[in-house]
Amino acid sequence: MSTVTTSRPIVDGERPPGHTDAPGRRRTRRLVRPSTPMVLLALALLLPTAALLGGGGWPQALRVDLVPALDSFADWVVDNRETHPVFLYFLLHLSNAATDSVAWVHDLLTAAGWAGVLTAATALAWYAGGAGRRGAGPALIALGSLAGCGFLGLWEQATETLALMLVSVVVAVVLGLLLGLAGGLSDTAQRILRPVLDTMQVLPSFAYLLPLVLIFGIGTPSALITTVIYAMPPMVRMTTLGLRGADPAVLEASRSLGSTSWQRLWTARLPMARPQLLLGLNQTIMMALSMVVIASVVGAGGLGESVYQALKTRDFGQGLTAGLAIVLIAVWLDRTTAAAGARGGVPVGRRGTGLVLVAAGGGLLAGSSAGGEWPEAVTVDIAAPLNTVVDWLVGNLYQDVPVLGGTSVWAGNFTSWVLNPLNNGLQALPWWSLLLLAAAVALLVGTWRGASTAVLALSCIGVLGIWDKALYTLSQVLVAVALTLLLGFAIGILAARVRTVERLLRPVFDAMQTLPQFIYLIPVVQLFNAGRVAAITAAAVYALPAVVRVTTQGLKQVSPAALEVSRSLGATTWQQIRDVQWPLARPALLVAANQGVVLVLAVVVIGGLVGGGALGFDVVKGLTAGELGTGLIAGAGIVCLGLALDKLTQPAGRPALTHHSH
Amino acid sequence: MDGHDSVFSVRGLWKVFGPKAARVPGDPRLTALTTAEIRERTGCTVAVRDVSFDVRRGEVFVVMGLSGSGKSTLVRCLTRLIEPTAGELAMDGEDVLAMDPARLRELRRHRAAMVFQHFGLLPHRTVLDNVAYGLEIQGVAKGERRARAREVIAKVGLAGLEDRRPNQLSGGQQQRVGLARALAADPEVLLFDEPFSALDPLIRRDMQEEVARLHQEEGRTMVFITHDLAEALKLGDRIALMRDGAIVQLGTPEEIVTRPADDYVRDFVRDVPREQIVPVSRAMRPAIGDEADRGTVLAPDATVAEGVAAVARDGVPARIEADGVLLGVVDHTRLLAVVAGLAPDEANYADPDAGTGALAIPGMREDGVDTDAGPGADADAPKGKAATTPMDAPATGQGTDTDPVTA
Amino acid sequence: MPITVRLGHAPTAGRPPLGSRPRARSRRTRTTLAVTGALALLTISACGAAETGGGDSRTVSLHTPSWVGAEVNTAVAAYLLEHELGYEVKTQQMDETPAWDAMSQGKIDAILEDWGHPQEEKRYVQGNKSVVPAGELGVTGHIGWFVPKYLADEKPDITDYKNLNKYADVFRTPESGAKGQFIKGDPSYVSHDNALIKNLGLNYKPIEAGAEATHLAQLEQLYKNKKPFLTYWWTPQWMNATMDLVEVELPPHEDGCDADKKEVACAYPDVPLKKWMNADFAKEGGDAAEFLKNFKWTTEQQNLVAKYVAADKMTAAKAAEKWVKENESVWKAWLPKK
Repeated sequence: MSTVTTSRPIVDGERPPGHTDAPGRRRTRRLVRPSTPMVLLALALLLPTAALLGGGGWPQALRVDLVPALDSFADWVVDNRETHPVFLYFLLHLSNAATDSVAWVHDLLTAAGWAGVLTAATALAWYAGGAGRRGAGPALIALGSLAGCGFLGLWEQATETLALMLVSVVVAVVLGLLLGLAGGLSDTAQRILRPVLDTMQVLPSFAYLLPLVLIFGIGTPSALITTVIYAMPPMVRMTTLGLRGADPAVLEASRSLGSTSWQRLWTARLPMARPQLLLGLNQTIMMALSMVVIASVVGAGGLGESVYQALKTRDFGQGLTAGLAIVLIAVWLDRTTAAAGARGGVPVGRRGTGLVLVAAGGGLLAGSSAGGEWPEAVTVDIAAPLNTVVDWLVGNLYQDVPVLGGTSVWAGNFTSWVLNPLNNGLQALPWWSLLLLAAAVALLVGTWRGASTAVLALSCIGVLGIWDKALYTLSQVLVAVALTLLLGFAIGILAARVRTVERLLRPVFDAMQTLPQFIYLIPVVQLFNAGRVAAITAAAVYALPAVVRVTTQGLKQVSPAALEVSRSLGATTWQQIRDVQWPLARPALLVAANQGVVLVLAVVVIGGLVGGGALGFDVVKGLTAGELGTGLIAGAGIVCLGLALDKLTQPAGRPALTHHSH
Repeated sequence: MDGHDSVFSVRGLWKVFGPKAARVPGDPRLTALTTAEIRERTGCTVAVRDVSFDVRRGEVFVVMGLSGSGKSTLVRCLTRLIEPTAGELAMDGEDVLAMDPARLRELRRHRAAMVFQHFGLLPHRTVLDNVAYGLEIQGVAKGERRARAREVIAKVGLAGLEDRRPNQLSGGQQQRVGLARALAADPEVLLFDEPFSALDPLIRRDMQEEVARLHQEEGRTMVFITHDLAEALKLGDRIALMRDGAIVQLGTPEEIVTRPADDYVRDFVRDVPREQIVPVSRAMRPAIGDEADRGTVLAPDATVAEGVAAVARDGVPARIEADGVLLGVVDHTRLLAVVAGLAPDEANYADPDAGTGALAIPGMREDGVDTDAGPGADADAPKGKAATTPMDAPATGQGTDTDPVTA
Repeated sequence: MPITVRLGHAPTAGRPPLGSRPRARSRRTRTTLAVTGALALLTISACGAAETGGGDSRTVSLHTPSWVGAEVNTAVAAYLLEHELGYEVKTQQMDETPAWDAMSQGKIDAILEDWGHPQEEKRYVQGNKSVVPAGELGVTGHIGWFVPKYLADEKPDITDYKNLNKYADVFRTPESGAKGQFIKGDPSYVSHDNALIKNLGLNYKPIEAGAEATHLAQLEQLYKNKKPFLTYWWTPQWMNATMDLVEVELPPHEDGCDADKKEVACAYPDVPLKKWMNADFAKEGGDAAEFLKNFKWTTEQQNLVAKYVAADKMTAAKAAEKWVKENESVWKAWLPKK
């Protein structure tokens, strides 16, 4: 999964990490150097004083309770959605189109039969790889991955998931292309799109699940739209990036030949953006796949539902099996799109095309006559052995581990000595001092604009009346981020220096990023007990791969010349890291930190499922218990928290990050 | 000189980058300042500064200068790839600055094509389709444009490589594609923006010869931007030397070399092997005695190097004849004076005949080169006038330049 | 024409509710449609313009809730509908509140186990009359506060809520700080625990254990390690077969004592679990609707099938098949009389 590997970090920065433009960096430094000690000193004096002076909490007078209004709006929607023209003449059509198209693709896949789908996918992968010897790799992977889904006994579920995936990816790509074109060609559009995408990156998908379910009810349309919203941003970003990154020499040459702007778009800009467009497609597919389980919460069937069902009976093995099938699909699609990207636009010869068509056609014919269902005899059960392993692990690590104590003991100590003091400290601080703190940090790291966004976002939290809950969540997020960064930097440094480590970690991380987080929630709870530690662990596990990856990349990008100089001067390994790699990789590391923050926030809602409480729990509750108002406001709170933390970790001079989130 | 026989006619052209750039050319208080001062005062960068010249039909007009001198901006202004800030610009008498976008596209499609330093080839297209690209933009049907592209590809010596992609070609080959693309549209003028700067020296020479050959064969007008003096001297019929956005001297290669307008130009041309540039006519004197009857016969535009060779071979002065009429002779003293960078009349005439057989004057060249030519007539000439000073050699047809030249 | 079982019609003016297209066509139609490729697309979109709801196939859409006990209701009903009555059954997994919503829209036809949703009943049953009752499931549900038996054996008086404060220390965890920890259930389940703790003046802190899966995982882990815990729990629950829990006595339930959710200070009531149906399905659902109305079994029967699934790791369908094969006399009575 080579592209998944680089994929997240790449979308993650519109520019590769480490390439922060020089003026920006200089500006930051100039701003930071004189003021850092003073600001820190001021804060050191201010915060304890503030904590002593006043009880924390957001003043009652400055709160607006939107819950009743939102709830009555929800009631209105429920009462009117079958009669109101907006629903009848617009949303109904949307909903029907969604249901029909997914059903149609599913029918098509079923009709093609497993043999048909297998051959078609293999042929397509071969074609994507250039229909020659270089296409063999992707083709084999496609064949193996899909057959793997069959072997795991999940063929039917896989086709259901695939149907939803294909439709949502097509929609996301089309919309993403259009928006990306707008952003790539017009500065105004770009200025409008940028903050929208920035917000979307910290928007937990659960937050928009709620209104969607309200409007469309449970079912395919909600699942489809959720997936599209979630998967679209990378397509927009990469399209914009591709169009803006077009070689100016070529564009000028084209202009000098008297081309119109349309002609330039079609003949130069778009074809030259092909690698970025394909990367965008690849990203979109991966993002859509990571929504499979969440989509199943609102009624999409398939592999997501299998995961969900398995978890209900705490059948970790079965859940992991279904998760594995998702990973397999991800590997297949990733390799196929990556192969298309690597081919670099060299057209496939007529003979190759013909062969592909014949093979796919033949396969489809054979498949449709053979029938849609994967033969049950050809499946293996890996759930039972997996369960045994996990049970053994959990049983032995939970407690009474000699000397070390065991996971439940660690969790308890961690809660008592880290989480509780931090949370109490935050709650004790007066609200205004936290705003000040946020403003100061945002200024140190970034720009005035970032500082004002951060303060505004935090104020919103207060006004919405969820200040205390947000702080409770914040304390967990901070700890999770710290943990992730600590581990991430350590592993990242190791991986950057020792190739074997990187090679070993790579497939593990690839799988971790694609595997639905739900799967590891059960063992996490069994190890750490339901509560904040479980939530933090889940978040750290989720965010770790990206942080490690960005760190490794950042360190490896450090110019070999600089390293060689330091080696030639006789620097020790530690000196090399400290004096050369670290300072030079700093921009990339900031990106990693920002990435960690955003990813951790993305799973706050998931944390709510394992006892994280506060905002994440409210979102879950809003969705599952129909308390829309509460859920929406908690969702908004997470977004605000996300925006604030994003600004606090987003250095100036760097274009906004483009991560993904839940 | 304006009128029908100049392709481009440029008058008082300015290009200023920066905030409120338009105010700079019109403000005499600002135009009096140097470029650096203007930048400090206004934040604006003057790239092209009050430039005037004509490009004559059929000539190779070279704009030469170091990087940052504004030459690339200037050539882009000609087809408004960069919009000039002020001034007049006409092509074939038609006001380019007044053209609407459609008319301007028409100009770019059919009348002026450009070759770029970094080629600007479409990486996803074959050589054939890259060359046909301009025709495609014009709306020429696929079959026809490919046929025409094939012809041009053959002309630039790339036959057989039609199906390659740019990344499969060497730099020189890529630039041939760029050249072919420009030629395919059969434009009236070819604009070259430092086309060979990115190439290896050997390939660069090949390409220069290619361009020279094309010019000889087709007589197409060319505007050629370069920072390489040797290239400029080799290709240019006339050379405009730019510095800080302004033209400091405009003239034939010979004028530039032999009569540098100021110290800057002089410094620039210091290392140029004059004998390769200067025609023997510059070293000519009237024949004395039997000189009119012996010695090798040379054309007036033969180089001094050829004169040296002839004189060395024969041991007597060489004769300069045009259309069978004797114009004069060159002897070793006067030839050496040219090589040494002295004015011909600075040569030692103490014994005009004594030099016969004694060609070598040790140390002469070094002295000549290293000295700043002393108080020569050219050095004293006011800036900008140098180029317009008529040559004293009657035989040179070209070289007079009555164009208004600003410095 | 086959009998139409599932009508997605909205009650008003024959206008379709959102997303009420039939999701499943018969397999043969499906295959034909798909194989004819683009033509099929045209066909479907043409249908899309004309078709405003109402299926033409024998399809029943059932809700699969998130707990195993109710899942097996659905599995057994689905097995019988498919094998005895020849319907195609589509099950859809979702949480309770969304399920009510979906049922009112006709996206699912019936809910087979409902623990009481007064708000939704008011909106959909009394309100827009899109949902009608379909009788009782036969199982009586009970929610309460429970402690493990090993703890109750050790401290017998712990099973009275009045003594809970005395034992708060026993239940202390780092999460609950100075107070005792009370483990809550899935956020979507009916619960008054926060109000109870407050109104009974208990020195406990309610801790969200998250979704049911994690709640169960947590309890199982604590039980295995013989740790003390106090939790929201309910019967029937298949894990009662492996986990012996004892209920803590709360102030007795009286009618209306839980009317104001903020002021609740009494035990949860015994709930005869109810079935509900989409109103149109109840009217026009034919044999399927009648069968689902007749469907009624006991707590023990449900627990048995649930154990097949949860403890023996059978799929719900396999478990249902096993039970149906062994209990013909029970389900015969559910089939519509011909």
